[in-house]
Amino acid sequence: MIKKALIVLLFVSTSSSFSQHFRTYDWTEKPKLHKLSAEDEKESSIGILKKHIVEYASSMMSPEPKRYETEHTITRVNDDKGIARHNTVYIPMYEVKKVVDIKARTINAKGKVTVLNQDNIKEVKNVDEYGDFKIFAIEGVEKGSEIEVLYTVEKEFDMYGSETMQSNYKINEAQFIFITGKLNSNVKAYRTDSTFKDVTIDGDNAKSLTLKNIPAMVEEEYATPDANKITVVYQCFPQGQDITQDMFWTNVSNNVGGRFFPETATSKIDADLATIIEGKTDLSVFEKASRVDNFIKSNFNVIKNNNDELSDLDYILKNRSASDFGIIKVYANFLKALDIEYEVVITANRFQYKFDPDFFIPNMLRDFLIYLPTEKKYIAPDRIEYRVGEAPFNILGNYGLFIKSDFSHYFSKISQADPDYSQVNRITDITFTEDFESTIIDMHQEFTGHWSVTNRAVLNLSSEQGVKEFKDYLTASGIEDKESLSFETKNGEINQTEYNLPFIVESKVSSESLIEDAGDSYIFQAGLIIGTQSELYQETERVNPIEMTYPNEYNYTITVNIPEGYTVEGLSSLNIDESYKDSKGNKVCKFESGYKLDGNTLVITIQEFYKTLEYDLDRYEEFRNVINAASDFNKAAILFKPIE
Amino acid sequence: MKKSLLILLLCPLFLFAQDFSNEDYIYLKRHEHIKIGLKNHKFDIAKNISEQAEFLTSNKLYFANESMHFDSFTSIEDIDAYTYIPSQDKKVKVDYIETKRAFDNGVFYSDQESKNFIFPAVTKGAITNLSYKEIIKDPHFLGLFRFGTYVPTKSAQLSIEFPKNVNIGYIDFNTENINLDFKKEDTKNGYTYTWTVDNIKGYQGEEDSEAILYYLPHIIVYIKNYEEDGKVHNVLNDVNDLYKWYSSLVDQIDTSSLQKVYAIAEDITKDLTTDREKAETIFNWVQDNITYVAFEDGLGGFIPRGAASVCDKRYGDCKDMANLLYEMLNHVGIESYRTWIGTRDRHYSYFEVPTPMVDNHMITTAMVENDTIFLDATDSYVPFGMPSEFTQTKEALLGIDADNFKVIKVPVQNADKNTSTITSHFSLEDGIVKVSEKRALKGYEKVNFISDYTYKKDDKTEEEFLNTTLSLGNNKTNYSNITLENFDNKSTPLQLGYDLSIDSYAKTIGNKTYINLNIDRSLSNSSIDLEDRKYSKKIDHEFIKNFTTTFKVPEGYKVNYVPKDLTFDNPEYGYSISYAVDGDTITQNKSIYVKTLSIQNKDFETWNSFIKSLIKAYKKSIIIEKI
Repeated sequence: MIKKALIVLLFVSTSSSFSQHFRTYDWTEKPKLHKLSAEDEKESSIGILKKHIVEYASSMMSPEPKRYETEHTITRVNDDKGIARHNTVYIPMYEVKKVVDIKARTINAKGKVTVLNQDNIKEVKNVDEYGDFKIFAIEGVEKGSEIEVLYTVEKEFDMYGSETMQSNYKINEAQFIFITGKLNSNVKAYRTDSTFKDVTIDGDNAKSLTLKNIPAMVEEEYATPDANKITVVYQCFPQGQDITQDMFWTNVSNNVGGRFFPETATSKIDADLATIIEGKTDLSVFEKASRVDNFIKSNFNVIKNNNDELSDLDYILKNRSASDFGIIKVYANFLKALDIEYEVVITANRFQYKFDPDFFIPNMLRDFLIYLPTEKKYIAPDRIEYRVGEAPFNILGNYGLFIKSDFSHYFSKISQADPDYSQVNRITDITFTEDFESTIIDMHQEFTGHWSVTNRAVLNLSSEQGVKEFKDYLTASGIEDKESLSFETKNGEINQTEYNLPFIVESKVSSESLIEDAGDSYIFQAGLIIGTQSELYQETERVNPIEMTYPNEYNYTITVNIPEGYTVEGLSSLNIDESYKDSKGNKVCKFESGYKLDGNTLVITIQEFYKTLEYDLDRYEEFRNVINAASDFNKAAILFKPIE
Repeated sequence: MKKSLLILLLCPLFLFAQDFSNEDYIYLKRHEHIKIGLKNHKFDIAKNISEQAEFLTSNKLYFANESMHFDSFTSIEDIDAYTYIPSQDKKVKVDYIETKRAFDNGVFYSDQESKNFIFPAVTKGAITNLSYKEIIKDPHFLGLFRFGTYVPTKSAQLSIEFPKNVNIGYIDFNTENINLDFKKEDTKNGYTYTWTVDNIKGYQGEEDSEAILYYLPHIIVYIKNYEEDGKVHNVLNDVNDLYKWYSSLVDQIDTSSLQKVYAIAEDITKDLTTDREKAETIFNWVQDNITYVAFEDGLGGFIPRGAASVCDKRYGDCKDMANLLYEMLNHVGIESYRTWIGTRDRHYSYFEVPTPMVDNHMITTAMVENDTIFLDATDSYVPFGMPSEFTQTKEALLGIDADNFKVIKVPVQNADKNTSTITSHFSLEDGIVKVSEKRALKGYEKVNFISDYTYKKDDKTEEEFLNTTLSLGNNKTNYSNITLENFDNKSTPLQLGYDLSIDSYAKTIGNKTYINLNIDRSLSNSSIDLEDRKYSKKIDHEFIKNFTTTFKVPEGYKVNYVPKDLTFDNPEYGYSISYAVDGDTITQNKSIYVKTLSIQNKDFETWNSFIKSLIKAYKKSIIIEKI
């Protein structure tokens, strides 16, 4: 009893003998407006300061260090959009043990200071998947005000963390301070040339990273802007420990492996196995895996909530509901029972995180896939639209941790085994009614790969309005007065057992807007037949590296039946040839169109493809020329002239 | 023998039953029973809800997600939920329910929470069963019952059971085309009213249409009054009671430190003489200085926050801004009233539905020099004198004093208030069409442009924003010298100017060059799909667009052809296009108008013939010829 009291006392006294930076860190007593450049004054908002302090404070008496995080921001808001962007603050309480302090104030253009009334901080519990939050609206903001927010929280001890230092507005100065004292630690910054400096803060070892003039991360096409922000990741270990990255990965592999590679499959799935196999003995590995995938996706729901039992196999099999983690166990048991070799892959959505094999952060271990090495194919267990095939496009190109049945692991970039996986093959036949009153567009389209996956998903899973818009998109989108004459889809079922079966659309539409009168001749807007192609703009310097949604290819054949008594002119606009070649001189992306005129038949052919996922940022203009070639083609027009 | 008779009896039912076999998921039943108790002026209200649904396929297992919303006026109790699998005669109970909150884009803080769970073991053939009790803590909120929902329902039923000393009001909507059965029962303890519909189809929203409650069959029930101690006590007998209740809430507004608010009102109007100028200045001040941040927090969601506190914090929601305007205006001697109103999403009248269901918004009404002016400062750009777009046609409930109110309809803002005047000068240089264009936008045309520019431009450059919103010429149209004036909340027109260079637009064949002067193709993609369209088309505001376009014939060319004049004339919408040649200048005058806020189904064909005719007119080019 006495001992216990002694320990508590000691603990208190030691912990107070250790300095904690956040206790002394504060905002200036009397804030002053900052002088901004004329350019900054034109922006909706400008980050004047973003400072993030992570402090691991060790104590002699407690094995676990304490962990504090302080965030301090000063932001100028110049207009309504800027105000709307910054006048509400959401502080996540995930892993937070204690809120040390939250304060906020504004200083308006005239220098008047308004301090946040603490009573107006609201607590919101269990928000969707994000946990609890403290939220408040900034008081006293006007155009031209500066908003200052400073808070410190104590978090549960965790060895890792990350902080995004870039935002969708410009930040003039950002600083990340990592105080770890005597503890072993690692820290790394992505996508910046600035480096960490060793500093001492209140006698503790620390590292500091200062970034100046961080540009706004902008939304750009063919890019993953959220994943491209400047980010700091860190690790800090308990007293006396030092853990290598390899130790972390091995730990994960052993932990996860033990759960996902059962020695024998549970007998509880026997009845389902019989349903899946239907007594067939000659099924290929691919077909067996496809049947398992179809069965699970028609009978199980993958759920995001806080129910721990969703990763317990017995519970899952009874309730047919699982977490994204638990569902892997279901697959594992079926695959094991059917003697299919598999590996478990842990990775992330490349639009959110770039998976880094050289630095372990649990935050980046977001998505699970199952890899079938004999087939070189993936299963995406929590994606109801995908069936055995290539990895989902939002994961393609990211690295993954591949765990084998002996729990050993390796890293690999998740790539597409079949480079021609995703294609749109379209045969179009065009005829005109008498006097060019209307144009009839008859189309046969075959979609494969990611195209067919998305198409099937929209057709099967969306609302009536969604299906209606989808139908429009599939039949020469952008022709304003289009009327549907017939529409039919084939192979529309999501459940498939054949690899990359095309999704087929047969359609016929009529339009009166493709022909314009020109005296006794008619101008036919042939370019619009391929659907509206948007122009890729770039008036400001490109920020993000080029990343396609997925490699893909279009092959179009358009047959124009020239009405009797007319000839065609102006065909040269149909010839377009733009390409981007790799270092070996191979075309890796291109747009090529041309035509053949044979009597009354004009046959236009187009081939457009993007063979790889990534393109050189230095060669952005060449890439843009290929993309914009399609919108150039949109303008192609030919003239029907009466034969004299 | 008996058996076959039963089958015979059932036959007609099957004949009339709708075929739902193409569906993935349907409700077998959705029943709601409201039980009202009353003791010592205190109501005891509970809704018993029971639902049963069937998965006809395994396509949309996500329908297994269930959530029941509640807030500080309601609570959810006694949830019993399970899945029944007929093929195995097996029941799997729901054993995990989570209470959650959600962040809503429009509302910063809300007390709304939900109880969420997922039905286990759903697959083709599974039948889910849910029953629970919703306790209603305030007799003003009995809510509404939807006979139809997003998927078909085989049996939909609302019943309400109440003591004989309570008087219930009800009104149903959009039930003309469904077979609604109504039954009254009189028992010893009270009355029960029951409404039942069988085999009702699914209702899903459509783009550009009115809110779903405009066509979805539903019913609103409310407590009119009760008799106790030999006296009748009104609850929501009619709009008088609704106002009385609102008035009692308004009495609770914090009126401390109003001097601060008065000082601002005085300061900003001190040099002004007329009431109109003063009212406009105060309105603009609130628009400019108070940012919209919405809260929904119990009765706090109905009581405006004190004007002084709103002024200090510089933010507020609709009722906060309405009350602040009310205080400021009245202080400088302008007669004004707090005003309750429903946006166009709510299509009820105070006189038909005397419940808080009618409105969802608050504004201020000012009487200035005999004009009734509706002031909605939540719209930062609407000019003084115009109501916000989404309150047009709606009944405004003006709180005159503690006991008196007035209901006035917000007038539709005529097309001539919402105009776009477009002046364009075309020329042809080396085969490239050059256009110098000016747009003057007034009324809602201006308001909508400014809010799109402010909130939807995102990271786009001005050029890309204009190109995607105006879609002039073709997808290669190049913008330069962009100018923007009067980007404010005043009634002076917004002036937008730019120069265009449109490559590959003019077509030259032989000696002739074809140029289409209709680079702006407004309304060209607004025809209605007659086959699939179900509900009326909503139009946000009436408008007129006037175009004056001149084309300067280049030297060495002469005019070969100008299109004939074309018109489509209808009281509600139409256009006219005419061409004139004067020397080396071709002038096109074009006017397009829409003078209605809704296109009803019966008028779809007329609307489409308008759009078809307009597209045809857009297709006509002028032809110039080399001399």
